Amino acid sequence: MLKGIAASEGIGIGKVVVIRQQDITFEQKTVANVHQEIDRLHAAVDQFMANTEKLAEEMEKSVNPKEAQIIRGHMAMLSDPFMVSQMDDMIKNDSICAEAAAQTVLDMFKAMFQGAEDELTQQRATDVEDIKTRLLKLLLGIKDADLKTLPAGTVLVVGDLTPSMTAELNRDNIAAIVTESGGMTSHSAILSRALEIPAVLSVLNATVTLKDSATVIVDGMSGTVINDPTVAQLEEYEKKQADYMAEKERLRAYIGKETLTADGIKKEVFCNIGNPKDGIKAKEKDGEGVGLFRTEFLFMDRESMPDEQEQYEAYKKVCDTLENKTVIIRTLDVGGDKEIPYMNLAKEENPFLGFRAVRYCLKNKEQYSLQLRALIRANADTTGNLWIMVPMIATVAEFKEVKALIEDLAAELEMPVPKVGTMVETPAAFIMADKLAKYCDFFSIGTNDLTQYIMVADRGNSQVAYLYNTYDPAVLRAIKQIIETGVNAGIPVGMCGEAAADPLLIPLLISFGMTEFSVSPTSVLKTRAEIARWSKAEADKVAQEVLALETADEAFACLESHVRG
Amino acid sequence: MVTKTVKIVNSQGFHMRPAQVFVAEMMKFSSDVNLVCNGKTASAKSLMMIMANGMKCGMEVEIQADGADEEAALAKAAEIIESGFGED
Repeated sequence: MLKGIAASEGIGIGKVVVIRQQDITFEQKTVANVHQEIDRLHAAVDQFMANTEKLAEEMEKSVNPKEAQIIRGHMAMLSDPFMVSQMDDMIKNDSICAEAAAQTVLDMFKAMFQGAEDELTQQRATDVEDIKTRLLKLLLGIKDADLKTLPAGTVLVVGDLTPSMTAELNRDNIAAIVTESGGMTSHSAILSRALEIPAVLSVLNATVTLKDSATVIVDGMSGTVINDPTVAQLEEYEKKQADYMAEKERLRAYIGKETLTADGIKKEVFCNIGNPKDGIKAKEKDGEGVGLFRTEFLFMDRESMPDEQEQYEAYKKVCDTLENKTVIIRTLDVGGDKEIPYMNLAKEENPFLGFRAVRYCLKNKEQYSLQLRALIRANADTTGNLWIMVPMIATVAEFKEVKALIEDLAAELEMPVPKVGTMVETPAAFIMADKLAKYCDFFSIGTNDLTQYIMVADRGNSQVAYLYNTYDPAVLRAIKQIIETGVNAGIPVGMCGEAAADPLLIPLLISFGMTEFSVSPTSVLKTRAEIARWSKAEADKVAQEVLALETADEAFACLESHVRG
Repeated sequence: MVTKTVKIVNSQGFHMRPAQVFVAEMMKFSSDVNLVCNGKTASAKSLMMIMANGMKCGMEVEIQADGADEEAALAKAAEIIESGFGED
């Protein structure tokens, strides 16, 4: 079994076709007639433009106009008069062949892009490399492998999938794609998702290990490739594939639709994400916003604090990706089970009851201000839909202190104050929710912490884990009260734990009046479909019954009979 | 030569699409037009150099125009950048 990056969902079973990288090395020659050589270069450039235009047109039909723009961009890049004129000059002055001139100039631009500070510009280096390869092939007279005639059921195995290759693929014949390079946001990944072809990327030595016409299974969900599967494995994955396809078909009806209950009450399904790149997933999976962007990733696995600018760029990137949708960003939730070595937090007897999240931040205001300034600036520089969410609030005073700090920083920056709300995850916050609501622009219920704090049970401790149960009537009553308090105060209430995607809890959340369900990107459509099953009246009936029960087991059984029965 | 300093206001800065729009407009002028930002100079008629300079939202750019139609070129360049390249 080979492992790679799960870049495009689905399961593909088929026969391997390995496309080997063509040799584009050449011998640098001195040319006698430089004008003839320049003509040869220009002819190749013209041919490049004509081929690329054709590819772009095909891509518009087979993929979508946005992806075609990537390769139209290649035309614009090569049309840069400075590029071709530099190549001309090199041929003229040094009598070198067109191949050498093209390679030198394009490598120079590639290096310039690679040296850029922002990631988006760095990614353009891949485009320059693609242009170089195709232009050299034209000059050297090397024909591309013909991808149009690949037989049905092909698992395409390739070093890197370039946009130009993708444009030629007949998607109906490609069962899956396996590459040796590329990540979640590479062209290969974006294109395979757009084509809805399962893909596993960055599989080490795939073009060597996988042999032509061998049968393989490609699991685009787990990022695995099974070489020469057994009969049992084939059966297992054929079933998985059928289930996946059936589920996808069922959910297709919900793509691009508003989230509505059966009786037409508007709800929203947002996404939980852990880094700026996941923003792309949130958008592709049809999330209506981001309900929880955890910022810990920025602070972990490094030696020192990220500075304001780095944070600003990460926050802005998510807002840019989500365009004008709401993005709720949670300020640093350090402590508890999240350790960040350079912050030098002392070991505690009870870390979950200790110095964590907003408690730490308010004692380290200078550091916290960097994050808040970055958030205020990112909000001001985008469409103003960035909301700041404060974790682990236990008292009204804490929240007021954070809010005052944000207002001061915004005034200093002469920028608008973003919306500020709180996670409701401590029993104290839930009891004081009516007072908190006066100062908060929104509530978001964090079910994981709320459950463990209400039940006072560590789910990692097997002796007491049985108590950690979101179906416990105590937890359900707390959720009801938080939502109703927020709704009465006229502020939006969301939920950003996994519970928001739980089909059993959805009728309760609808009955309590919750408006925003924040789930993992892969659960967006499922959640939207579940919400559509319930009318307020039916949901109320379920809620009434469940809230009269005494134990978690009874509540679970009751919900199951209503939802799955 | 005439110069003017402007601030980049669109969120994407000089990325592919805005840069393409800008270069296409600048090509219509005979004057040499340069953008100085981040201590680096890029020809306003070179898509590659503009993109490689990584000019981002919030940064200040000095536009330099030199030639027969320098005033018009400067005015147009400033207008496109200050209007945010027609992005929202």
